[in-house]
Amino acid sequence: MQPKKPADPNAPKELGKPLTPPVQIARVRFSPDGKTLAAACFDGTVRRWDVSAAEPAELPAVTGHNGWVSAITYMKMPPAIGDKLYSADSWGRLTASDADGKKRWTVEAAHDGWVRAVGHTPDTAVVVTCGKDGHIRQWAAATGKPDIEYKVGTDLLSLAFAPDSRFYVGDLFGAIREYSPASGKLGRTFEAKELHRVDRIQDVGGVRCLLASPDGKTLFAAGGEPKTGGFVQAVPLLVAYDLASGKRVGQYKGAADSEGYVTDLAWHPDGYVVGTTSGQPGQGKFFFWKPGADQPFFAGGKFPNCHSVAVSPAGDRLAVSATNANSSGNGRPKGKDGEYPANTSPVQLWTVPKA
Amino acid sequence: MLCTPAEHRLSRRRFLGAAGASALTLGGLATPAVADKLRKDRRQVLFVWLDGGMSQLESWDPKPNTPFGGPFRAIPTAVPGVHISETLPHSAKVMKHLALVRSVSTQDNSHSAGVDRIQRGDPKNRGVVYPFFGSAVTRLVGAGDSGLPPYIWVKPMSGGFIPKDAGFLGPKYGALALGDGKPPENLLRPADLSAESDDERNELRKLIDAKYAEQRRRENTEANTHAFEMAAQLQRKIELFDPSKLPQKDQERYGSHDLGRHLLLARRLLEEGVTFVKVTSYGWDSHGDHFNQALSQHPKFDRPFAAIVEDLHDRGMLGNVLVVVCAEFGRTPRINGHLGRDHWPEAWSVCMAGRGIKPGVVAGATNPTGTEVKADPVDIGGLFHTWYKALGVDPAQTQFRNAGQPLPIAHEDMKPVAEVLA
Repeated sequence: MQPKKPADPNAPKELGKPLTPPVQIARVRFSPDGKTLAAACFDGTVRRWDVSAAEPAELPAVTGHNGWVSAITYMKMPPAIGDKLYSADSWGRLTASDADGKKRWTVEAAHDGWVRAVGHTPDTAVVVTCGKDGHIRQWAAATGKPDIEYKVGTDLLSLAFAPDSRFYVGDLFGAIREYSPASGKLGRTFEAKELHRVDRIQDVGGVRCLLASPDGKTLFAAGGEPKTGGFVQAVPLLVAYDLASGKRVGQYKGAADSEGYVTDLAWHPDGYVVGTTSGQPGQGKFFFWKPGADQPFFAGGKFPNCHSVAVSPAGDRLAVSATNANSSGNGRPKGKDGEYPANTSPVQLWTVPKA
Repeated sequence: MLCTPAEHRLSRRRFLGAAGASALTLGGLATPAVADKLRKDRRQVLFVWLDGGMSQLESWDPKPNTPFGGPFRAIPTAVPGVHISETLPHSAKVMKHLALVRSVSTQDNSHSAGVDRIQRGDPKNRGVVYPFFGSAVTRLVGAGDSGLPPYIWVKPMSGGFIPKDAGFLGPKYGALALGDGKPPENLLRPADLSAESDDERNELRKLIDAKYAEQRRRENTEANTHAFEMAAQLQRKIELFDPSKLPQKDQERYGSHDLGRHLLLARRLLEEGVTFVKVTSYGWDSHGDHFNQALSQHPKFDRPFAAIVEDLHDRGMLGNVLVVVCAEFGRTPRINGHLGRDHWPEAWSVCMAGRGIKPGVVAGATNPTGTEVKADPVDIGGLFHTWYKALGVDPAQTQFRNAGQPLPIAHEDMKPVAEVLA
């Protein structure tokens, strides 16, 4: 008989049953008060749940998007104004909504096609988007009026703000550019070239996600070190940069080509990075990584192919969107009633032990 | 090996093709009038093979805003009412030259079997190995007047003579593969070998070959002789492979990546009169990160494909050249956990243009979510019927013969897609 493994003190604990929307999900985010969880879905909706009670309750979705809702971000506002939710889709639309889901404004063609990421300045004045059209655009957060535009020319995959309002945009080729929203000027460029490769005629990889630490000292860029296109084999790679010097100060690299990309990053108030990975169907996890460490101090999860993670503002909970088991298959896999099933993204909530 | 009366008539064109292809080419001794006639009578094929399978949903049959539709938009084309994926904007502009079959439904969802089955037309099993489309066309249509090998395969990586394509037709109907679009290595006579010495060596080789062939199977020795003939043909046209001869503008239009360069070479080969040019692009098997793959790869197909269609049209060649874009299958509507699409022979699309094809039409349809062909699925046998008819070869009247055994050139239970035939 195997000796029983001692419980991992760092392991989060499942919080109830998973949410089971009938669609796949690109991103999950908690509202600033931690009471609502929003999910950017592949059916053009932003699904929302009240997660303040033991049993989550679904709230009215934000509708009106097309294609996939690819990016969402909450903005904390004074109570008199109310928190805002900004959502963008793969057809180029940007929408601002109130916390209750009521739409405030929409820009139908914020980008020509896929908006990859959306963020906002810490002072809540400006919303920034970037897209596959190679543009970065600033918008007045209150009205949606267009502001500064930056033409980069490459597929811009990710975006993150530092607390001093500078923001960082990562592209397909492993470049991370720094901008100042006030001046509209390009600052430094950081390189993570190993996040990209050309395989045959396919550009693979890119800076899939960016995160700045709340103290403004560290920038985290992640994706995968691709080995092949097609199947897309890649080893997850997370690189940390010291923002003062611009130098690399550490990295976490996964173990196997099948593990794929780091797909999303979040900061935990206890001073570590929470990330998700997704690779070959069946592969993928979420992990906790302390900057400077070689390996995560926790890696696991309930479902494979994790595409997004959100940490509640208090840091006591996290939400991970993953993928149902057996999601791959050539030909025509049938459901139990003979139907052709779509894959879905179960969302599991977890409680996080205090570090 | 063929038995139609028309094919047995000794026309001047056939005489020229058979007796003097290597010397009496358009660039050789033919008078302008004869050359013009030869050019007008050409029957050629450009066969673009996207190995691994391009997604129909991100190309010819988009289903935007549906459960399996993916992130992309559909865009209008030059043909009112016909929309294709936003990943193919240049193809949309030349849609007036294209025809789509959106009701393709084939039998095999594995690469290993699917590649051969599709390219051999998946006929009924008669215990023989059918030729690939390229070998079959060169047998049925003839070697043409180019003075070049009639079946040339432009592909990434390595090249060489590929006899297996020919199936029961015998190795001499195999493909000459140009690895990365380059001529075979050591093709040209070394500088330190005089022409006279080279001739003497070749004469000696022929004598030895003939002796060797006396006691061997004809098909194998023929293939050996054919390889040397092809080398001689290529030596005479070596300038075809020199990209510096091409206008810079063309190189920019087609692109500097493999598929662009190879389609530009294909245009040159077709201009020379090569009967069948296959261009293969690898890496379309997008089981993971499929939608970013489409954003990266589809433009590398779209721009040079639209360019070659335009160029063939501008040169008056679309009346001679049947253009086909095909693969072993399409990709699953279902999006897997790695955001990939898997193999899907059930309902996919094939694009064609040119000789014998009605331009600007769409035949067949899938259901609103793209998971089923609505009606009258078209298997590859039906597409072979369509392509042969487009080339002026009637599958009902034409047979192969394999050691005396008559064999249909396409699956006899299937029929052409009439809607796309001119």
